[in-house]
Amino acid sequence: MKKEDMVKLISSEGFEFVIDKDAAMVSQTIYNMLTSPGSFSETQHGEVTFPEISTTILEKICKYFYWHLQFASGKETEFHIEPELTLELLMAANYLHT
Amino acid sequence: MSAPKKKNFQIEAFKHRVVVDPKYPEKTWKILEHAIHEIYNHNASGLSFEELYRNAYNMVLHKFGEKLYSGLVATMTSHLSEISKSIEAAQGELFLEELNRKWADHNKALQMIRDILMYMDRTFIPSTHKTPVHELGLNLWRDVVIHSSKTQTRLRDTLLELVHRERNGEVINRGLMRNIIKMLMDLGSTVYQEDFEHHFLEVSADFYRLESQQFIECCDCGDYLKKAERRLNEEMERVSHYLDTRSLDKITNVVEKEMIESHMQRLVHMENSGIVNMLVNDKYEDLGRMYNLFRRVPTGLSIVRDVMTSYIRDTGKQLVTDPERLRDPVDFVQRLLDLKDKYDKIISLAFGNDKTFQNALNSSFEYFINLNTRSPEFISLFVDDKLRKGLRGVSEEDVEVVLDKVMMLFRYLQEKDVFEKYYKQHLAKRLLAGKTVSDDAERSLIVKLKTECGYQFTSKLEGMFTDMKTSQDTMQGFYASNGPDLVGDSPTLAVQVLTTGSWPTQPSATCNLPAEILGVCEKFRSYYLGTHTGRRLSWQTNMGTADLKATFGKGQKHELNVSTYQMCVLMLFNNADRMTYKEIEQATEIPASDLKRCLQSLACVKGKNVLRKEPMSKDIAEDDAFFFNEKFTSKLYKVKIGTVVAQRESEPENQETRQRVEEDRKPQIEAAIVRIMKSRRMLDHNNIIAEVTKQLQARFLPNPVIIKKRIESLIEREFLERDKNDRKMYRYLA
Repeated sequence: MKKEDMVKLISSEGFEFVIDKDAAMVSQTIYNMLTSPGSFSETQHGEVTFPEISTTILEKICKYFYWHLQFASGKETEFHIEPELTLELLMAANYLHT
Repeated sequence: MSAPKKKNFQIEAFKHRVVVDPKYPEKTWKILEHAIHEIYNHNASGLSFEELYRNAYNMVLHKFGEKLYSGLVATMTSHLSEISKSIEAAQGELFLEELNRKWADHNKALQMIRDILMYMDRTFIPSTHKTPVHELGLNLWRDVVIHSSKTQTRLRDTLLELVHRERNGEVINRGLMRNIIKMLMDLGSTVYQEDFEHHFLEVSADFYRLESQQFIECCDCGDYLKKAERRLNEEMERVSHYLDTRSLDKITNVVEKEMIESHMQRLVHMENSGIVNMLVNDKYEDLGRMYNLFRRVPTGLSIVRDVMTSYIRDTGKQLVTDPERLRDPVDFVQRLLDLKDKYDKIISLAFGNDKTFQNALNSSFEYFINLNTRSPEFISLFVDDKLRKGLRGVSEEDVEVVLDKVMMLFRYLQEKDVFEKYYKQHLAKRLLAGKTVSDDAERSLIVKLKTECGYQFTSKLEGMFTDMKTSQDTMQGFYASNGPDLVGDSPTLAVQVLTTGSWPTQPSATCNLPAEILGVCEKFRSYYLGTHTGRRLSWQTNMGTADLKATFGKGQKHELNVSTYQMCVLMLFNNADRMTYKEIEQATEIPASDLKRCLQSLACVKGKNVLRKEPMSKDIAEDDAFFFNEKFTSKLYKVKIGTVVAQRESEPENQETRQRVEEDRKPQIEAAIVRIMKSRRMLDHNNIIAEVTKQLQARFLPNPVIIKKRIESLIEREFLERDKNDRKMYRYLA
C-alpha cells in the first residue's frame, strides 16, 4: 500500500490507527478534511487527531468503516455494538457524519 | 451508526458539557474568524481542519449557531468589500483578470469554509431556513462585488466592448471571457440575463442593424448572404466558446431579424443578383445559402417560394405563348422538359428537396402548361417524334427516363382526354405505317398511362395493339389458304383489321381502287368474312400505304413508297401518259382536298416529282394536266413520296378536334352527374358542380356552364327533376 492511500487517525489518548483512505472516507467529515481545497494540516500530513474520541470508540469506528465498505449494500451481516458503547458511538457518528 | 445515513435525529449534549465558560462562544468564534481570515489570505496550511470543524460543531451543538452564521456573513462581507475595492482599483485591461483571479480565490475559500462549517450546513441551516454557506457566498459575491456601483456597469461595458472588438476582427482572450461569463452564470441565470445577456442582445441588434444597412447598400444579394451567413456562424461559434448555450437561439434570432428579416424583400428582388438572377444562372450555392438563411425566419421561405413561383410562371407563360415556339412542337416540349429539369435540379441541390418548393414548382407548371390549349397535342407529338425516331439506338433505361418525363408533363395537363384523343391518332398512324421504333417503349408508355389514369383511359389504346397482332395472324392465315392463287404478278396485300371504336377512324371516304388491287381485296374480304361471321369490313383507303415498282424513261427502276391515294393516282398512268385533274378525280373518286394534297406531293416536290404538271405552279388547280415524268431521276432506289407524317394540326383541324372532344365530354359529364345523384338522391346545384369537377378532374376540367347544360338535358330526359320548393335543389328520379 502506498502511503498516500493510507490515513492515520489518532484518538484522544494518542493511539494511532492507520487505515485505508477509502475506508476513512466513509465518514463525510473525514472526506471533506482530506479533499478540501487548500492545504489544511490534515491533508498535508495524512493524519487526523480526534481529541474528543476515545481509543475504544475510534477502534469501533474503524471497524465500522471496513464493515461498511464490505457489507453496506447488503443486509446479510449485522454490525455488533456493545450496549455500553452505544451513546458515545452515536455522538461520534453525528460528529463524523457517518 | 448501525443504520447509516439516518440524519434526522438530534443529539443532546452531555450534561457535564452544559456548564461552559460564558466566554466560550466568543472564544470559539474568534478561532473560526481567524481561520476564515487565514483562508482568504492563502494561509490555510497551518490550520487543523479537525479543530475548526470541531469548534463549529460545538458552537452549533451548544445553540450558538446564530452567532456562527451572522459572524460568517459579517466576516465574508468585509473580505468581499476589500476584494471589491482591489478589483475596482485595477486599471484597464487588468480589470477582468483581477476579477477573474479574485473570483477563483473566493470560490476556493468558499469551498473550504463550507467544508469547515459543514455541520452547520447540515443541521442549523435547514432547521432555521437560512441560505446554505455556498449559496450565501455566491450571493454575497454578487451583491458586494458584482453589483457594486462601480463594477456593475464597468463589467458589462468591458464585456460588450470585448465582443465588439472580436466582431471587428480582433483577437480577444476567450478563456478569460469564458471564465467571467461562467461566473455570471454561476451566480444564477437571472444575474447572467440581467447583467449581461439582455444588454448583449440589445447591442448586437444595433450592431447588426447598422452593419446590414451598410452591406445592403454596397453588396449584391449573393455577397450579402455570404456575409450574413458568416456573421451567423460567428455568433454561433461565440456562444459555443464563451456564452451560455441558452443564449444561442436569442442571439441567432437577433442576427436573423436584423440581417435577414428586415431586408428580405429587398434581397430577393435585387436587380441583377436577386432570386431571379440566381435562378437564371443556376447559382446553386447562393440559392442554397438563401434557402438555409431564409428558413430561419418565419416568412422567409414563403417569400423565396413566391418569387420563384411567379418567375417560373412568367417564363413558362412566355414559353407556351411564344408563337415562335409553337411552330415546332417537339422543340416546345423539349423546352418544357428542360425547364423542369432545371428547376428540379435547383430544388434538389439548393432547396434540400423541400416539399413545399416541389409543390410550388408543380403548380406553376400546371398553371402555364394549361395556358396553351395545344399543350396536350404537342406533348403527344413529342412522344410521337420520340417513338418514331428519337429513341432509335437509345438504351432501354434512357427510353424509360424520357417516357417518365413525358408522363410528368402529362400529369400537369388538365385536359387529359384531349391528350388521349391526339395520342390515339398519332399512335394509329405510327402503328399503321409501321413506324414505331420499339414496341416495348410503346407498351411501357401505355402501362404508365394506365397506372396514372386507370384502365378506362388505355383500354382503347391497348385494343389497337391487339388489332395489330390479330391482323398479322389473319394475313398469315389468308396467304396460307389462298397462297397458290396469289403468286405471280398480283400485288401483295397487307390488311390491318381495325376494330371500330378503338381507332380514331375518320368518316371513311372510299375511293376507287385500281382493278389489280380490287381483286386481291375482294379475295381477302371473302376470306375474312368466311372465317368471322357477322362482321363488316370497310376499307380505310385514307390510312394505307403502298410500294410501287416503276420504270422510267431511261430504263432506270425505282421503288416508290406512297400512300394508297397516291398509288391509285399513279396506277392510272400505267394506261395513259396525260391526264387532267378532272379525269383523275373522276377515275379515283378521291375527296378533292386529299387529291390535291397527294397530287401536290407527286408533282410539285423537287426530287420526288414522278409526275409533271402543266402549267408549272406550286398549287393544284381544277384544270391542270398531269404527265408521267419520264425524266425523273433519283440517287436512291427507294423513293419515299409525301409520307403523311403526323404534324401539328392546322387551325380548322384543331377546331374540329376540339369539337369532337367537347362532344365526347358530354356523356362523361352526364354519367358523372347520374352517378352522383344516384347515391345522393338530392343535391343542390353548387355541390353537383363541385362533385362532378372532382370526379372528372383526372381526365379534364369540366366547365360549369357545360355541366349546367348537361343537368338541364338530364331534366328534360327525366333523369332528374327540380325540387318544387327549392329551385336550386335537384332530385334523382329512379
